[in-house]
Amino acid sequence: MAIFRILYVKELRGYFLSPFGWLILAFAALMQGLILTATLKNFSDQAQPESLVFLNFNSPFFWFYFIFLFPVLTMRLFSEETRSGTLEGLLTAPVKTWHVVLSKYFAAYTTFALLWIPALIHFYLFTSLTDIPPPFTWAEVAGAMTGIALMGLLFTAFGCLASALTSSQIIAGVICVAILLVHFLLGLIPSQYTNQIDAAPFFDFLSSQNQMQDFARGLIDSRPIAYHLSSTAFVLLITYHLLDFRRWKL
Amino acid sequence: MIEISSLSKSYGPHKAVDEISFEVTRGEIVGFLGPNGAGKTTTLRMLTGFLPPTSGAARIAGKDIFRESLEVRKQIGYMPENVPLYTDMRVREYLRFRGAIRGLSGSRLRQRLGEVLETCGLTDVRRKMIKTLSKGYRQRVGLADALIHDPSLLILDEPTNGLDPNQIRAIRQLIQNLGEKHTILLSTHILSEVEMTCNKVVIIDGGKVKAADTPANLINTMRRAGRVAIELKALKSEVEPLISQFDEVTRVVGETVDEEWNRFTVFAAPKTDTRLKLGNLAQEYGWPIRSLARQTGTLEEVFVELTRKD
Repeated sequence: MAIFRILYVKELRGYFLSPFGWLILAFAALMQGLILTATLKNFSDQAQPESLVFLNFNSPFFWFYFIFLFPVLTMRLFSEETRSGTLEGLLTAPVKTWHVVLSKYFAAYTTFALLWIPALIHFYLFTSLTDIPPPFTWAEVAGAMTGIALMGLLFTAFGCLASALTSSQIIAGVICVAILLVHFLLGLIPSQYTNQIDAAPFFDFLSSQNQMQDFARGLIDSRPIAYHLSSTAFVLLITYHLLDFRRWKL
Repeated sequence: MIEISSLSKSYGPHKAVDEISFEVTRGEIVGFLGPNGAGKTTTLRMLTGFLPPTSGAARIAGKDIFRESLEVRKQIGYMPENVPLYTDMRVREYLRFRGAIRGLSGSRLRQRLGEVLETCGLTDVRRKMIKTLSKGYRQRVGLADALIHDPSLLILDEPTNGLDPNQIRAIRQLIQNLGEKHTILLSTHILSEVEMTCNKVVIIDGGKVKAADTPANLINTMRRAGRVAIELKALKSEVEPLISQFDEVTRVVGETVDEEWNRFTVFAAPKTDTRLKLGNLAQEYGWPIRSLARQTGTLEEVFVELTRKD
């Protein structure tokens, strides 16, 4: 456990003792601010049936930048170590491969989680700086954040997997975007074919958009939770075996 | 300290390391030699637990490298080829991290940090970013990294690769000093280095061990070692049959140097010395001698003899 903590702290320092982590944070804060502004404009134009939180986290802009956060956060994790050869030094030290995989994963996830602080501040500012009754409740904010936290678990794992696949950061980033886009677009299949296909409920279940709509209404369903936790464990398991590939390839 | 028994590693159909066996006893400095692609790095990677062997076994300090990998790794200080480092860390920060993942902490870590910075001559650059350091300093950081947890065994893969002569000398001196307290296995293809620092040499080629002995023994047993060159003022036709009659002499080649002087190269069995006999012979027949020398082999010649392809 001590080893895990040392590796985790080292990875986290890698994000925040360089401009890298701060740049992503600034980018996320900027995007969150722009989307909130756009959503608020909708409210001033006409009456909206849904809450501010719902519209904020279900605008197309949200998905556009949300999906691109993960390759940026994770692409360098394993590929850079493979490319520079430092993986050899790391894995010949008395550390378990699990320590390496989980420390990198959780460091990336922690950084991802910190990106939502600006969003929380935005909602807080809305309630404290205006005298109009807020068009949302904190339960909806909590629901949306739960949804983001869950999707972050799986998507960060996809990023780690992509990074462990190749020694090129760029290729890792592209693979990560490809996986995330396919995963996201699977959820759009039923809306293309309406519900004529038998597999429609399956795609509806996978759909990140559907899940986000539920979460942003404050509806916390156990099925997406089980889906994300189990898929995350599975993807991390594959990542672990990819990293150990040299140990079992013939 | 290291016992390797029929260790093999295949990459697909290619056998990089083919049933090698040798031993390293505690306190030895062993030079691990071989041409490029001989399987040196693969062997070292197996010993350090980075690659699993295809077959065979090896024990380090009595522990199996595969089954007790973590225990083995604690005993080893390993400096990989080309010394990969986290270039965006500072020297001290990097060494602190490397010490910590080997289980050092608190005052013990601080003490070891001070010691390795001092030993490797890094005290002046301890606050610098690794990416700003020259190759020589990076090599030293790699060595400090391998030493930080005070391992009983040091495995160094081409520690002087790419350094200038002064830096090579400094690193060699450092290795010699370290050899007083540590067992060292170092791979290299700079042979003069091995002659100066190592008490034992293991030569591999094509994944097989060609020789494992002390440098002095290797040189003595090689083919060219008994060869003697003598320059006489005498006729070739007269001298050659007389020298050829000695038991240990296999062949005599005479060539004219200038006017009446001829140089005779006497090929003889290893571990023999025909100089005295040749001297007596010349005296007996009254031939003036200009030079008489027995060729002493070098490790380089041993290496070439054992590993050349023709």
